[in-house]
Amino acid sequence: MRRPIQLIFIIFLVIVGLSVTRITVENSISTTGIELLKLQNTISSYKKENALISEKYLEDSALISLAKKANEKGFVNANNQVYLSTPLPLALNQ
Amino acid sequence: MSFRYKLSLLFFVIFFFLITARLFYWQVVRASELQSLGQAQYGRQTTLSAARGEIRTSDNFTIVANKLSFLVFANPKEIKDKKDMADKLGSILNTDPASISAQLKPDRFWVPLKSHVEQKDKEKIEPLKLPGVGFQDETTRFYPEASLSAKVLGFVGKDDIGGDKGYFGLEGFYDRQLRGKAGQAIVIHDAAGRPILSKLTGNTGQTDGRSLVLNIDRTIQFMLDNTLKSGIEQYGAKGGMAAIMNPKTGSIVAMSSFPTYDPRHYEDYSDDLYRNPFLSDTYEPGSTFKPLVMAAALDAGLLKPDTKCPICAGPVAVGGYEIQTWNNKYNANESMTDVIMHSDNTGMVYVGKTLGLDRMVSYLDKFGVGDLTGIDLQGEVVPNVREKQNWYPIDLATASFGQGITVTPIQLLTAFSSIANDGKRMEPHVVSKIITSDGEEIPILPKILGQPISGKAARVITEMMVNAVDNGEAKFAKPKGYRIAGKTGTAQIPVAGHYDANKTIASFIGFAPADDPKFLMLVIIDRPTSSIYGAETAAPIFFKAAKNMFTYYGIPPSE
Repeated sequence: MRRPIQLIFIIFLVIVGLSVTRITVENSISTTGIELLKLQNTISSYKKENALISEKYLEDSALISLAKKANEKGFVNANNQVYLSTPLPLALNQ
Repeated sequence: MSFRYKLSLLFFVIFFFLITARLFYWQVVRASELQSLGQAQYGRQTTLSAARGEIRTSDNFTIVANKLSFLVFANPKEIKDKKDMADKLGSILNTDPASISAQLKPDRFWVPLKSHVEQKDKEKIEPLKLPGVGFQDETTRFYPEASLSAKVLGFVGKDDIGGDKGYFGLEGFYDRQLRGKAGQAIVIHDAAGRPILSKLTGNTGQTDGRSLVLNIDRTIQFMLDNTLKSGIEQYGAKGGMAAIMNPKTGSIVAMSSFPTYDPRHYEDYSDDLYRNPFLSDTYEPGSTFKPLVMAAALDAGLLKPDTKCPICAGPVAVGGYEIQTWNNKYNANESMTDVIMHSDNTGMVYVGKTLGLDRMVSYLDKFGVGDLTGIDLQGEVVPNVREKQNWYPIDLATASFGQGITVTPIQLLTAFSSIANDGKRMEPHVVSKIITSDGEEIPILPKILGQPISGKAARVITEMMVNAVDNGEAKFAKPKGYRIAGKTGTAQIPVAGHYDANKTIASFIGFAPADDPKFLMLVIIDRPTSSIYGAETAAPIFFKAAKNMFTYYGIPPSE
């Protein structure tokens, strides 16, 4: 008669143990959905910010924009280039 | 074995067989259907759209990017004062309030109001806290350099089912590469609809589009655009186009044409402006064609630069027609070098006659006249070259000076690459490499299409073209100290069966430095009004652009 009681007790302990574990784990992950949503929103906002910064960078570094700014600041095209002539061979150099 | 035992055994065998068959039916035959049903209970299917690939110039500047934009939508059932909301949205979205109000039908839950709304407009709408109005992220093509090389780039419109589709230029030609592939995924949610910590279903099949890196040099493109535009205005022309190629590789470093359109608002422009005339329009090349015919005769060993023209003392009669020079001045016994320098039609009639029909047709074929060049832009056309049996003597005569035969500008540019590249004709290419979404680079290597003439013939015709620039009609505009090989062209436009003397296509084609060409350029001006001649319109534009090219490439004068 003693053995069945021990067996029932062990089974009972296992059931209780597993139940407690399940409750603990479920309790710990029950809010991860909200956290995940927050993380996804954060990633999304960073991506948007990055896209807007990239857009601004491209706009500001476009030649069309640089030329306009250069014109406003008074830069003009250099029409007269000066070239240094090729040096004479050593034998002809005086 | 007793009968009852056998019966029981049979019963169990059949029973287990039926169970196995049923399990097979649910787990194999209807597996995917049931899987979908199951997923629908705990997750939502979502489409993972593929980001369209970017387009970058040779300096790795993103000339076509993806911009974050928004679709403004509304739920009419939540809106109480439709007029007030339509007025507020209309003023910000620059849309007629009446059309917004008309869309807000009370029997609908979701109505799209305006797509491609920019961030700044969204920021104006959000503080109003309009009930029932929301935003959905979407992407729009973004062009930091505005309409720079618009006709090379093309634009992204919609296909039959509302998806993005590239049209014209690179967007059209490389559409399948750029668009990528959308994927499907299941996002698992809890009872409140919040996503729970679970990975998206494994392989979604989504692949972002590939990006293109161009041979187009942004600085040269910008310079060419400005030079061409100011030239068109200066000479009162209807339009114009130009392209610059590296003759040794076939790389297109710039291509420009006017009038053009703004790809950001392509729908506001006429359809006619979408085509790239450099590859979609045909024209009679006129005198710019002469070096090709002369090169053919030199290559065939029929003529030399000092060969005298025996028929150049006056107009030449061919097949009942009289052929004159462009200025009605004649030079008896002039050399072939002088024929090119004076752009003498009668001299070219002699060259064509000496070459003969068979060789003429053969060389035209070798130069690619009548074939697609294979340029990687959507919309290239190929004008027909008449069959050999349909050539009359007058056709041979006029074709020798570039009339009565049609080409596309890209065909002419490609044909001239053989003169500038030691006889080898190169395939024109706008894209230098394709970059996959994994970062793998697929280079597009230079391709030789053929060798229509020998290197020796190429060098001889180059010298004749250098002489034409130094001593011809356009010498006044040439930058000093540089050896430039070039040829002017003034082709009359055929209108209703005859040529209109006052409407011309003025052009100039050339390359420099002549001894080691870094660039080959063709400039075409459509119907200039200040002067009808190529020497006085297209040539100055060419030389102005060439001067800038010398500065940009750091090429010093050699003379």
